[in-house]
Amino acid sequence: MKKPALILLLTLLSASAFAGGVYQEPDAFIAEVFAENPPKAEVIWPNNELKAQIKDVLGHDYKGLRIRYWKQDKTTAWILDEIGKDKPITTGFVINNGRIERVRVLIFRESRGWEIRHAFFTDQFDNAALNKDMELDRTIDNISGATLSVRAVTKLARVALLLDQAVNAKQES
Amino acid sequence: MTGRKPTQFTVFLWHRRAGLAAIILVIILAITGIMLNHTKALKLDENYVDSSLLLGWYGLEPEGEAISYDVGEHVITVLDHLVFFNSYPVTRTEQGFHGAVKAEQLIVLAFDAELVLLTHDGELVERMPTGHSFSEIKRIGIKYKRPVIETSDPLYYMADEHILDWDVIINEDIAWADKTTLNDTKMTVLLESFRGRGLTQERVLLDLHSGRIFGEYGTYVMDAAAVALLWLSCSGLWVWWRRRVRQKKKHHFQKHHRL
Repeated sequence: MKKPALILLLTLLSASAFAGGVYQEPDAFIAEVFAENPPKAEVIWPNNELKAQIKDVLGHDYKGLRIRYWKQDKTTAWILDEIGKDKPITTGFVINNGRIERVRVLIFRESRGWEIRHAFFTDQFDNAALNKDMELDRTIDNISGATLSVRAVTKLARVALLLDQAVNAKQES
Repeated sequence: MTGRKPTQFTVFLWHRRAGLAAIILVIILAITGIMLNHTKALKLDENYVDSSLLLGWYGLEPEGEAISYDVGEHVITVLDHLVFFNSYPVTRTEQGFHGAVKAEQLIVLAFDAELVLLTHDGELVERMPTGHSFSEIKRIGIKYKRPVIETSDPLYYMADEHILDWDVIINEDIAWADKTTLNDTKMTVLLESFRGRGLTQERVLLDLHSGRIFGEYGTYVMDAAAVALLWLSCSGLWVWWRRRVRQKKKHHFQKHHRL
């Protein structure tokens, strides 16, 4: 009776220990988004106003002076990093017409909080947009034990929408 | 055969044992305590430790050798996973460093599966994971002022001027990045930067006094020394009092009941 319980416990522990890692290579994500025919990468050099908005969302400056993105018609794709607890979580975002079309956690390096990779979490962002306060127009439910990861991805979603707005505004002007 | 009562003997025995066991820790506590009381006079907060052993114990001594590449008038160094532009830390990496070149618009650093772009002033522009576009990067060079990467295939890729897109080229007229060695002055400045403000003598004495220098359980060891001191005080008092009572009785007996 004790042995199966021990095996179950070890299985659960090993499953959680190896749950992090590379779920999808960033360029494979981009290829998938654009049906294996991705456009050339472009970059945005955030101006001071955009930098301040990003800082307001993240609570710190985004690392780097330029951010790469891929754009086709009204769809933009972004691969962004943000630290959950100790290490960066790499997440891919697809924005269509100012609304989130897809969120996928690509690389998870932390030891806890990997549950955010699952669709039950990422699907909450479908069709989300920014309201006038630069917040998401909906509430994202937390996952207990993964609060910091949830917070990181939610912040990145707002940053991706901000960047999409900036790219489109630049193109219109 | 000592003539003491069993209780008194036990207290005396444990008094002696506690004293012997705690002697080194009590000496450490006493000396560090006295020194810490005179931090200002001894300038403990102004003097820095330069012992490699202690710096290593605190994790302030870098592991591994510095790998440096000249990029124009600047130098890029990776030391113990930290990437430096001259002596300024720019970012961290867990990957192997394969060189750096100064391209027309940016400085490009090559790691196993990542490129890091810096401005000519050393500001971080972008980190570019190569993903499966390139196989493992082996070295980086320059051709027509544009960065060129050699992968393990081997294949040679040259970037466009904005370092957004890569084309396969042939291995011709490529100036590969060469490692350089930092002179003693530059190495000293780099190590100072790596260690931050360094380790003060006061910090070491405080950690020695509290036991934290011995790690997670060090504080409990010092707690035990403090408990031992308390025990020594009580047991010493007990032994002294018992002895005094006994001597009084002895004097009384000698005085009044002498045969």
